[in-house]
Amino acid sequence: MKRWLSVTALSAVLFSSVIGCSGNNDGGGDKGGSGGDGGGGGKPVELTFWGDWGGEGQKQFETMVDAFNKSQDRIRVKYVLQQDMITKFLTAATSGGSPDILFWDRWRTSLYAPKNVLHPIDEYLEKDGLSKDAFYGESIKELSYNDKLYGLPLTVDARALFYNKKILDEAGVKPPTTWAELEEAAVKTTKWNGSKLEVAGFSLGDNGLFNMYLQQAGGSMLSEDGLKTGFNSEQGRSVLQFWDKLLNEDKVYKVGFEQGLGEGTDAFVTGKLAMQYTGPWMLSTYKKYGKDLDFGIVPPPAGPNGDKGSVMGGFGLVIPEGAKHKEEAWEFVKWWTANKDNALLWAKTSLNMPGLKEALEDPFFKDDPFWQPFMETLEFAKIRPAHPGYSVMENDGLIPNLQLFQQGEQGLEDTLNKSQTQGDKLLADNADVK
Amino acid sequence: MASISKLGRHQEKMAFLFITPTMLLFAAFTIVPVVMAMFLSFTNYDVVSRMDFVGVDNYKRLAGDALFWQTFKNVFYYSIIFVPLNIVISLMLGMLMNFKRMGIKLFRTMNYLPTLTSAVAAATVWIWLLHPEFGLVNGILGYFGIIGPAWLAQTETAMLSIILVTLWQSVGSNMIIYIAGLQGIPEYLYESAKLDGATAFDRFRYITWPQLRPTTFLVSTMSIIGALQLFDQAFVLTQGGPGNVTKTPVYLIYQQGFNQLQMGYASAQAFILAIAILIFSFINMRINKSEEPIV
Repeated sequence: MKRWLSVTALSAVLFSSVIGCSGNNDGGGDKGGSGGDGGGGGKPVELTFWGDWGGEGQKQFETMVDAFNKSQDRIRVKYVLQQDMITKFLTAATSGGSPDILFWDRWRTSLYAPKNVLHPIDEYLEKDGLSKDAFYGESIKELSYNDKLYGLPLTVDARALFYNKKILDEAGVKPPTTWAELEEAAVKTTKWNGSKLEVAGFSLGDNGLFNMYLQQAGGSMLSEDGLKTGFNSEQGRSVLQFWDKLLNEDKVYKVGFEQGLGEGTDAFVTGKLAMQYTGPWMLSTYKKYGKDLDFGIVPPPAGPNGDKGSVMGGFGLVIPEGAKHKEEAWEFVKWWTANKDNALLWAKTSLNMPGLKEALEDPFFKDDPFWQPFMETLEFAKIRPAHPGYSVMENDGLIPNLQLFQQGEQGLEDTLNKSQTQGDKLLADNADVK
Repeated sequence: MASISKLGRHQEKMAFLFITPTMLLFAAFTIVPVVMAMFLSFTNYDVVSRMDFVGVDNYKRLAGDALFWQTFKNVFYYSIIFVPLNIVISLMLGMLMNFKRMGIKLFRTMNYLPTLTSAVAAATVWIWLLHPEFGLVNGILGYFGIIGPAWLAQTETAMLSIILVTLWQSVGSNMIIYIAGLQGIPEYLYESAKLDGATAFDRFRYITWPQLRPTTFLVSTMSIIGALQLFDQAFVLTQGGPGNVTKTPVYLIYQQGFNQLQMGYASAQAFILAIAILIFSFINMRINKSEEPIV
């Protein structure tokens, strides 16, 4: 009897974990590579396209790949999902198994381009008479190194201010356009029940957005020459003062408030958060809640001197130096990113904003109240500075100090000074990439 | 006589045959990489384009790397609390679960369950339980009129939360090891001690604890190694924050190697970590040796 009980308990656990695993597999969509072996007689060039998007993203990629394969019969592209793409690419780049096209998180360019593992595409661009100006300038800048261009932008994104219409209406405030209005709106929408925060007026959970606030204050993350940090300035000070006021005087937020609240329990969805900065990637999630979540979007409020700022990010397509069919790979990259119809098809399939400006002129984006504020934001959004040590500086030098500041464990001047010395050191340590 | 030695030689041969696959794998996946890493730590290897000898530059840079030493401080703090607690709780659970009672196997299974869950999945659930406003932990504390902290977001409690979660996950398997150890202690030792009038505490102090010395050595060594290599729970629970207090050496090694492509420097960091583990395992061995077994 006793043994029977424990055996049952154990088998129940094993059983449920097996179910769990199979569930995962279904979600991942393991259906790779059925399109590769095309007609035996013809000789289409086979290209391999690596990306690290699975599930929905994989289907979106495959939609584009299929459309390209149908559009002509010289080249056949195959999408291969690589979960740990960058690590695989490193070994592939040296051992000869390199893919022909790579889905590329653009900020990595400044680290990889100097190592000659990416193929510059300037001559292709010139040959086909394409202009860099057709794309968002900042995204082109992010894909460039030493005046050479290493890929074309597939998507662009930037954060804007999402607000809960119902909460703002009840508090009688309008969506803010300046820091002062933002503060006022946040104060009016925040609700405390004793010591328990019920509705936070404005999210201060992500210290990584410092860059964005700094732009709004008119400052910049790095010095003029791009070699040292530049945030220990009057502008940096005004950002921290603004945060300190919101968090400790106005008490519109509480440290850790949103931690661990995933989809479905997301504080913005459940009406526990009135305003937050986030990007277009959250649109499809939030739209799913339909009437239950009535939200709007405005471009990020301007700082004390009227400066606007947001950080542009996004993905591109690059051709590795080790690719066997660079010309054909270029055909595919051009077809996808530089053709208005295809860029638009991609945009509508994946709900991403394309890097090609022309495609964004489509009513699908221009006349949609959800997309329109992002288009406005993209006009002034700037990329992260192109320094190979930038993300390390931000994550290990700046953000930890900002967290200590937010928790009141470190004064304002101390925070800026320490961030500067630690940040400068991290930048210098990671600058040498040749 | 001759036939016995012949048999012995045959067995010897078979032993080598049986152990060869393991040793080959061990050589290919452990010894060779370790030697390679040692070599790489004196170069500026970046996987794709360069591998020049740079002497002890990487180690010089290490000396001035405040963040690296901070991560060491973090895991030492973690180990000092985690390792003793791990031993004490596993031992107590082991002794408790060693009683022969109705349904004890069910309880053993239940205590072992957390070990079966994946570290990342369990940590994700714990993030939710530890949420400052809507989490179960602070909810329960609320009934007693205590306002719980933002466990994972505050510098004072972040590391403690990680210690609790990892303890919860690791005591189960150590409990099993202790139960095995306890069942290996001959019953007659207890009997004769009882005849001599030893109290329950005496029996624990002079029989159980010394007899479990090899078991404790195993458990403590494994905990020390695991503690110094802390990564996944810490990464999922806090991403090294707040204020770097939960960043660990393994996190930095991964970042330098795979994100920044400074494999040479990362190898140097890894070597220092390996040496630290060696030193602490050695100290642990000495402490354990000092208490000689009775039988």
